[in-house]
Amino acid sequence: MRLSTVLAGKNFSFRSVKEVLAKANEEKSGDILAGIAATSDLERVAAKQVLSHLLVRDLRENPVVPYEDDEVTRINQDSIDPAVYNSIANWTIAELREYILSYDCTEDDLHRLSRGLTSEVIAGVCKLMSNLDLIYAANKVRVTATCNTTIGRRGCLSTRLQPNHPTDNVEGITASLFEGLSYGSGDALLGLNPVNDTSASLGEVLRRFDEVKNRFEIPTQICVLGHITTQIEAVEKGAPTDMIFQSIAGSQKGNSAFGFSAETVRQAQQLLKERGTAKGPNVMYFETGQGSELSSDAHYGADQVTMESRCYGFAREFNPFMVNTVVGFIGPEYLYDSRQVIRAGLEDHFMAKLHGVPMGCDCCYTNHMMADQNDIDNLSMLLASCGVNYILGVPTSDDVMLNYQTNAYHDAAAIREILGLRPIREFEAWLEKMGIMENGHLTARAGDPTIFVK
Amino acid sequence: MNQELISAIVEEVVKQLMASGQLDISPSKECTCEDITSPECKASPLLDKPQDPEALERMIKRTTARIGVGRAGPRLKTQTLLALRADHAQARDAVMKDVDPKVLEDAGLFTVQTLCQDKDAFITRPDLGRQLSPEAVRTLKEKCIPNPDVQIYISDGLSSTAVEANANKILPVITEALQSKGLTVGTPFYLRFGRVGAQEHIAETLGAKVVCVLLGERPGLATAESMSAYITYNAYVGMPESKRTVVSNIHKNGTAAVEAGAYVAEVIAKILEQKASGVDLVK
Amino acid sequence: MPDILSVGIDIGTSTTQLVFSRISMENMSGYFCVPRICIVDKEVIYKSPVHLTPLKNAVLIDGEAIRQIVAEEFRKAGFTPKDVDTGAVIITGESARKENAAAVLEKLGGFAGEFVVSTAGPDLESIIAGKGSGVFQYTIDNTCAAANLDIGGGTTNIVFFDNGEVVSKGCLDIGGRLIRLKKDLTVEHVSPAATKIAQYLGIRLTPGQKTTVSDLERITDKMADLLAQALYIKPQEPLLQEIRTPGSAWLELQNKRISRICFSGGVADCIAKLDGDPIPYGDIGVLLGRSLAKGALMQAIPTVAGTETIRATVVGAGTYTTTISGSTITYARELFPMKNIPALKLTVQEQDECFAGRPETLVQKIKWFLQQSESERLILALPGTANPEYKEIKTLAHCLCEATDAALPAGAPVLIVLEQDIAKALGILMEKELSGRRKVACIDGIKVEQGDYVDLGRPMLNGLVIPVVVKTLLFG
Repeated sequence: MRLSTVLAGKNFSFRSVKEVLAKANEEKSGDILAGIAATSDLERVAAKQVLSHLLVRDLRENPVVPYEDDEVTRINQDSIDPAVYNSIANWTIAELREYILSYDCTEDDLHRLSRGLTSEVIAGVCKLMSNLDLIYAANKVRVTATCNTTIGRRGCLSTRLQPNHPTDNVEGITASLFEGLSYGSGDALLGLNPVNDTSASLGEVLRRFDEVKNRFEIPTQICVLGHITTQIEAVEKGAPTDMIFQSIAGSQKGNSAFGFSAETVRQAQQLLKERGTAKGPNVMYFETGQGSELSSDAHYGADQVTMESRCYGFAREFNPFMVNTVVGFIGPEYLYDSRQVIRAGLEDHFMAKLHGVPMGCDCCYTNHMMADQNDIDNLSMLLASCGVNYILGVPTSDDVMLNYQTNAYHDAAAIREILGLRPIREFEAWLEKMGIMENGHLTARAGDPTIFVK
Repeated sequence: MNQELISAIVEEVVKQLMASGQLDISPSKECTCEDITSPECKASPLLDKPQDPEALERMIKRTTARIGVGRAGPRLKTQTLLALRADHAQARDAVMKDVDPKVLEDAGLFTVQTLCQDKDAFITRPDLGRQLSPEAVRTLKEKCIPNPDVQIYISDGLSSTAVEANANKILPVITEALQSKGLTVGTPFYLRFGRVGAQEHIAETLGAKVVCVLLGERPGLATAESMSAYITYNAYVGMPESKRTVVSNIHKNGTAAVEAGAYVAEVIAKILEQKASGVDLVK
Repeated sequence: MPDILSVGIDIGTSTTQLVFSRISMENMSGYFCVPRICIVDKEVIYKSPVHLTPLKNAVLIDGEAIRQIVAEEFRKAGFTPKDVDTGAVIITGESARKENAAAVLEKLGGFAGEFVVSTAGPDLESIIAGKGSGVFQYTIDNTCAAANLDIGGGTTNIVFFDNGEVVSKGCLDIGGRLIRLKKDLTVEHVSPAATKIAQYLGIRLTPGQKTTVSDLERITDKMADLLAQALYIKPQEPLLQEIRTPGSAWLELQNKRISRICFSGGVADCIAKLDGDPIPYGDIGVLLGRSLAKGALMQAIPTVAGTETIRATVVGAGTYTTTISGSTITYARELFPMKNIPALKLTVQEQDECFAGRPETLVQKIKWFLQQSESERLILALPGTANPEYKEIKTLAHCLCEATDAALPAGAPVLIVLEQDIAKALGILMEKELSGRRKVACIDGIKVEQGDYVDLGRPMLNGLVIPVVVKTLLFG
């Protein structure tokens, strides 16, 4: 294993695989904040050069958090298929990159390959990819999952309808929900971020979602994204839900800062098997985002792309229905501007798909970040073009509870038209039945929330 | 055919087309208020011909979310797009602009600075925004009374607009209420480029029993004026976050600054009484 | 959060009822915000049967018999007077005008311990019934304007809500027991209002003499017609004024449109009784119901079914009379509880004078009010202002202190109730200014009108809020 190189006549050497991974990252303000970023562009490329010659084995054998200390590492390492791994263990990361991009490598090959890749290997290859590489490679793969309906089929672009309200007022939530449905949003999920994280409040919203879903016979999923333990409590008290949600991190320490462990997720899965309203089998929903580990001091000196990749290694264990990065939510100290956000969005999507995780993206930004809605237009177009499972939809792109901006309800309709994509089949049939969509276009009736009023 | 007849025929055809819904010459709905960011303007739906206009108005009253906005094809209407951009511009300005010196002058506040040299450093380096510059430490020691019961100061945080909107309303109420309880209140000042965590350094520098920063919060599109009070008993560098008591959502549409000030004073008195803040405080 | 147990007792012209409700409160603001305690749920947990109101004779309520009914219902519900936090005793309809109502109240007040005892005038009663029938909530849920007509034995209480706000209210002497009959249609009793309506129609009704169903139908048809007039469906005749309940307001539409009507009270249950015995209860209730069913009112405005009919008033009394103050207030704890404090309401102009630091008008007004109401105390009701400047609130505090010092007896407390959320700041500044020579209670989140009376209960929820009852008229 060689950790040094000569580039443009200069010597560069690195002390560890972890340092190589960190410095090989594209520029991210979070890595600078952590004090682990490359100090020059040339050093960044030197690290990439060293990384390209490391073997798959080198990255697997040097996880950024030790196996003994961390259940995320253990879950990831223990899930690897030995046969697949042995067939590629001696490939360099450069070879792995070129194989993934080659015409020889089909979608089936990538699904098979996935089972032999640890999160560090996937993060490594990601760091050698340009943006178009990430798009091209990700476009080869589709990852489907089934709850009430099946998400992620080729030719589909779904949306999570997010009808958030500053005080969880159920009528206000319903108003936003109807607005979204009237734009054809919500085939991935009707999912609320609650203000009040109590089982009673979650239960009240879930019952309304369930009632609307049943009254209009909408083929979709519902979830209220409280803390995992609050959702468990709500379901135990009889609240109807198709899925249980949790924000996850790339280390056990990060997860414990979020107040849960792998055991909690297993408990939620078991509970849904018995008392959930979904047909299944995929009933978990996870959210991630580069930088969250650093913000809870749970990054172990590793860079935010590698830590993000480890989230997908953890998620894969639980066969989720949906996973998305909330890519621009964390703030400019982790992702400075739209350039970094767009890069991160493409990285996260690629890495998740290579893990075999059904991936969506909350293409978003906060008001203290150097980005605006145009950048979100760009990122969502790029991701839709390479087969992201879903994006978000909120009224007019403004989330009045989380105080950030993401995609508007309108956006998916426009993107679907441009790229010839459709909602999930059953959901599209429902939209046609409701007179909202015809041949993939919105009808004159679309955009009127009052069509759902009794 | 004479002119009159032609007119009559055209009129009849138009009438028929309109009646059958094939022709729609009603002008596109547009709000008549001049300011598209005004609450009245946002409350009036742009959606053309809702099936149930009364229901739509009802829905709009139930949420601050921008619903009933209608569309141009699958895109936003122009007014919706521009109102969004205007709100975002206000939020950006709140983050990036400095507090108007006149406001600080009116409040009688002098200015000290953290280790951040500019807004960019402030935004990307929260660690520097938590530390005082050596000059700031000197100035504070020179100008402020030492060891007060309560040290209150104002800081920009992520919204200078919040400081401009609330500082002169909230600061005198807190001060007066605390003084009437017989407590000593330290010399107030303004900390530029400040993060919440700077209060530990301030408390240590001035020997304050309780430190309270009134700080601008990250703006949303709904308001850029939201301020929070972070209050800590016996703050020290390296203390856990859980030691902070927070009173947030202070702005004209949340808790008005004057009333919030009276509440904050009561919380501070309680903190001094219990000698504890944050999770240790019994509310 | 703890609950409030509230009792409602309604002593009407014909029936007496009691309910217990549990009122749940919750802090609706986030953990990191200034607290905002709200009533989040009201659940009726016990409903008594409908008792006939015991009378000593045609005009006197039997107070002792009422006390026994109430005591028995407490026992059946499993509560003692000590369990009750708040509540209201409402003597309604014609009963309220009976001469011994005050004595009856005294009997119950003594029995029920500390809870807020109150009586209704016809207008408050209208509001209470409209809340108890569910129409109040309906107008909020559907953002619409709707009227409730609570038709009892002696009166019809009308209230008109728009999106949870009272637009106006009124009361007419129209009810199911204005005429009482024996099985053979011999007239037993005719109220003055029924006599007027009969005279208008040229019908003679004399106690002891027989009448006919068709004459009675003509009378109830006219009653239904008068209700349509009251709601402006038909032109109003002079007769309408004549049967207006004394002391009640005149219903006004205020340029709004009533989009739904709801019927409550005992007669509401008779509207659907189109077949069978027309006089099953020895009165004209069923006939009045039938007249309404075919009348102009129900043809003009769609009806909505209430959540309560005959129990609307008692449920309203038990669950809607008590409200809670804002959660940032100032008070001296020992002031509470206080009952029946007359309110002096300041207009916006008068308040503006105080904001400008001119107390003279207020001084005069307080003196006049105390003299005129023969009271030694009052509560000042101010609209307040949203998001004031510090200097504004400081001047207001100073001005209010000056005015009360000039006009109130030495040592009397200063009581202030505001609509806008500024009571804590204002109260603290006033306390400082008064430096102990008067106690201060300054609360907000409550709308009070001129002529109202206010009850203030003991502080609850760690002293964050106090329960408040606002009454439009004091009886006796």
